[in-house]
Parts: sequence; structure tokens; C-alpha cells
Amino acid sequence: MSHALDWIVLIGTLILTIVYGVYKSRTTHNLDGYILANRSMPWGLVLLSIMGTQASAITFISAPGQAYTDGMRFVQYYFGLPIAMVVICIFFVPIFSKLKVYTAYEYLENRFDGKTRTLTSFLFLLSRGLSTGISVFAPSIILSSLLGWNIYWTNIFMGGLLIIYTMTGGAKAVAYTQQLQFIIIFVGMFLAAYMVVHMLPQNVGFMDALHVSGKLGKLNVITTGISKKGFNWSDQYNLLSGLIGGFFLALSYFGTDQSQVGRYLTARSVTQSRIGLLMNGLVKVPMQFLILMIGALVFTFYQFNNAPIFFNHTQLARIESSSLKDSFYVARNAFDKIAVQKQQAVVDFSQALHSKDKEQEEIKGQQLQALQKTSDSLRKKVKDWINSKQVGGDGNDTNYIFLRFVVDYLPAGLVGLLIAIIFLASWGSIAAAINSLASSSMVDFHKRFTKKKEETGENEYRLSQWYTLAWGIFCVIVAMFTYNIGNSLIEAVNVLGSLFYGVILGVFLVAFFFKKIKNGSAVFWAAVLAELLVLTVFILTKTGAFKMGFLWLNPIGAFGVIFFAILLNGIFRKKEIA
Amino acid sequence: MTTNDNDKIPLFKNWKNWYVLVIAFLVILIIAFYFFTQYFS
Repeated sequence: MSHALDWIVLIGTLILTIVYGVYKSRTTHNLDGYILANRSMPWGLVLLSIMGTQASAITFISAPGQAYTDGMRFVQYYFGLPIAMVVICIFFVPIFSKLKVYTAYEYLENRFDGKTRTLTSFLFLLSRGLSTGISVFAPSIILSSLLGWNIYWTNIFMGGLLIIYTMTGGAKAVAYTQQLQFIIIFVGMFLAAYMVVHMLPQNVGFMDALHVSGKLGKLNVITTGISKKGFNWSDQYNLLSGLIGGFFLALSYFGTDQSQVGRYLTARSVTQSRIGLLMNGLVKVPMQFLILMIGALVFTFYQFNNAPIFFNHTQLARIESSSLKDSFYVARNAFDKIAVQKQQAVVDFSQALHSKDKEQEEIKGQQLQALQKTSDSLRKKVKDWINSKQVGGDGNDTNYIFLRFVVDYLPAGLVGLLIAIIFLASWGSIAAAINSLASSSMVDFHKRFTKKKEETGENEYRLSQWYTLAWGIFCVIVAMFTYNIGNSLIEAVNVLGSLFYGVILGVFLVAFFFKKIKNGSAVFWAAVLAELLVLTVFILTKTGAFKMGFLWLNPIGAFGVIFFAILLNGIFRKKEIA
Repeated sequence: MTTNDNDKIPLFKNWKNWYVLVIAFLVILIIAFYFFTQYFS
């Protein structure tokens, strides 16, 4: 990114965001103002805040890369979300609003006891704190590798600058900056999509690009996960895992994670809160579909241009200085030769499409598929070599594909804007996360466990600011120590979430739907046992004892809590009677 | 968030219609995506 215009656009956009956030920081100096923006937000701001919190930089970096490598089926992961929005509107929102809670976990002390509240909020702080650290590191390492920036300074800019407006203005600053960020993000992504199609050869239009992409298996939006051997439980993204596993993940994330609960608690009424959530249910899936389609279009673009055999140059440098160097050069030469043949084949295929010659379309399509299969196998070889002990690198380049395309092909100015978007998307979700971590720390721990029970509104406001600063620094420190994430970053964050969300959700499901379970100790120990169960299952899948997609950890955790709570409640009641 | 909600429900008379809209839209999307997949595969 050497062009001055890119730097001007990047720095200007970031400064605008910080200034706007500080400007919007004016709020009442008490907990209501700092944590919940005085419960004054209209549904539009609630909606943008919810979306901005969930859609981090990882969404915009990783999702197009997912589509490039694995096709668009990742969109199925979000199919459970609209159903979760409806359930939250019916059951969660009225209870949270009636009790006027600051955090989701306050409700649990009313319903069960203090230790259940403490355990649940601790699981939230642990999972959200760590995943926010990853959310700082994830885009930083990519930008650092791509642009040659120092990783430590990139971490600080990625996770540090937003503390300025988050600490100053709390929830209100977070909400208003997310609004600005989202507008910029959508403009930038739209421009990127336009440019991808614009840069295709003159006689290749948008529909042709989709046909090419589809012929090569990238428009696999709906997959069932069912083969001749039956349903594949280890298949990560299919209709069933998305609807069921995705439902539980979304229900837990939006219903019990303070980073999201805190967003819709800022609404001025139950109506505004519900509309914000339901609108999210309407727009989220189409939004993800469009983001993934950008990846599919980038894939088509690279069929007409020379795609690199591997998109992460840092890892290529490793293999080029290893004992596998010669094998790599042979594979790369073969890949480049195939690329030339593919370019001709894709032109022939496009011509067959235009002339509506079905027979030629089929022949050229099959030729293209055969060439793609060969180039895929060469890419896989290179990935395996990078992962090998001789090289010791990271063979997953999913997160580098979209930004590589941006840096190599997009015009000056737009590159700076898209890099800025990475920062803005990151800031939006990290700011909300840090605000929620501070809220939970203040309300669920500080106010409960400090000896000084009576604090003025002003003191609580100041303490909340210090907690915001502390969590911001913690997340940057976690980012500094995070190495070798390995898998697609969007997957890493969701795997981490799936380890804890199911259990947290299970506690809330027991609270809402199992009114006969009143024993706090039963629920507390049920949550502990269910968490141990989830971790055991996860370790077994990692060691290869059996295969299972990570999304299924969510219903396992949730049902585990319910099962153990019913069991333990019965045991504890019998002891009480005895 | 006020519990005495003076904000009228927009668009529909009750919340049930909103919930039906969201679920119905999801079903329509899944069907559309299925045909999209089949057409371009």
C-alpha cells in the first residue's frame, strides 16, 4: 500500500471515526448512561449496533476467502439466526426489560442464586475476553503479513485507538460509531464487488461470472451434508447444522452474551428492541450471502488472471527457504501452466454460454472442472508442505485471499478504504465487546463483591471507564500473545464461542422454561458438569476419537445443562425432604 | 427500556405477524438459495 492516496483515505477514515465517537460521547455520568446509553436508542441504531457487533473484521476478511476455497455454503451457518431472533423477542426481551437489568446475568441471581450468576458471568468474561483478543490479533496479523507492518504496532492500532472513544462515551459512543462504520463498510464492499465484475474481460458479465463460479462448485449455497454413507456429522456447514447448531449458537450469542444483550438493552422501549432484533433476522442472511458472493466473484476473476498458488507470501517465503523448495517450484510451474490453460478454457466456456450452445457449454465446463481439479490438488500439495515439519508454517491462506486481491488489483484510494474497513469492522465489534466486559465486571463482580455498597453515579461511571480501559489493554495483550491461529479465523472465534455458549444458554433455558427447578446449587453444578462434558467432547474430536462439527457443541452444552439440572434438582430435593 | 411500551408496533397489528414474516422470509430465502445452487451448479 505505497500510494499516498491510500494512506490519506485510511488515516482520514480512522480519525473521523474517533472524532465522531468522542463527539457522541456526551452522556449522563452514571451506569445507566455509560452501560446502556440511558435506554434511549431507536431500533435503527439498535439494529446497526447488533450487526456491527457481530460482523467483525473477521467477517469481511475471512468470508470471501471461505467462498473462494470452500464455496458459499458457509451462509448456512446463519440460517438459525432468524429463528433465534424470534425466540429472543418472545422470551428474553420482556424479562430483561421488566427486571431493568444492566447485564443478562443479573437476572440469574433473582432466579437462582448468586453463585450461578457469578459462574455464568465468569464464563462470559473468559470466552468474550479471549475471543476479543483474537479479534484484535486476527486482522492485525493479516495486514502485517500483507503490507509488511510491524505486528505489535498493528495490534495496538487495531485494539488500542478505539479505547479512546469507548472509554469516554461508553455504550452511546459505541452505538453511534457503529452506525458510521457500517455505512462506510457497505459503501466499500459494494465498490469492491463492482470493481471485481468491472475488471472481468469485456465480454464477461455478472451472470457469466456466476456461471463460471457455479460450474466450479463455488455457488454451493445449499448443501445437505448427506452422502451415500448417511449424514456427515463432521461436515461443518450444511442445512441441518446451520438450522439446528446455528440456532443454538445464535440463541446463546444474542440471548446471553452481554456484548449483544447490552446492545438491545440500550433501546428506548421493548418495541424498539424487538424491531431491531427482528430486522437483524431479516437482513443478516442476505448480507452474508452478498459478502460470500464477493468471494465467489473474486474466484471467477482469478480464472481470467494469474492466481497465486498460495496467497500468503510470508508462508511462501518459508517454503522457499526450506528443503522443499525445489518441489515447490515444480508445483508452482505446473500450477501456472494449468492457469494459462484454464484462462483459455474459461473464455471458451463463456463463449459457449453466450452462443447458448448447450453441448459446447457442457464440454467446456467439464474441461474447466478437470483443470480446476488439477490446480486444486497442486494447491493442496503446497498447503501440506507448508504445514509439514520441514517448513513449520500455516498452510491455510483463506484469510489472505480477499486482501491479496484488494492490494494487487484495486485502484489507489479504494485499497486504503478497504483496509480502513478492516479497522472499522474490527473496532465496531471490539468496542461493543470491551463495553460489555466492563459492564459485566462492574455490575456482576465489582458491585456485588466490594465492601463499599453505596457508590455515587459519578463514581460508578468513572469505575466503568477504568474497567473499559483495563479490558481494552487485556485484549491487546492477548492479541500480542496469540500465534498460529491456524484455521480460518472466523472459524477459530466460533469454535471458542461454541465451547462456552451452549452451557451459558442452557442455564438461561432452565431459568425461562423449567420453573420447577428453583435450586441454585443444582443449576450451578449442572453448568459445571455440562461444561466438562463439552470440553471432553471437543478434546475427543480433536484427538480423532470421533468426528463432529463444532456447531453441535452448542446444543450439547445447552441440553447438558438441562439434563443435569433436572437430575440434580431431583437429588437435592430428595435430600431436603429427607 | 420502558416496560410500559408506548411505541406502537410498526407495520402489523401484533408481534405474531412479525415473527411469521421473519420465519417465512427465511424459508423463502432457503428455497431461493436452493434453486440458485441448482441453476448454477
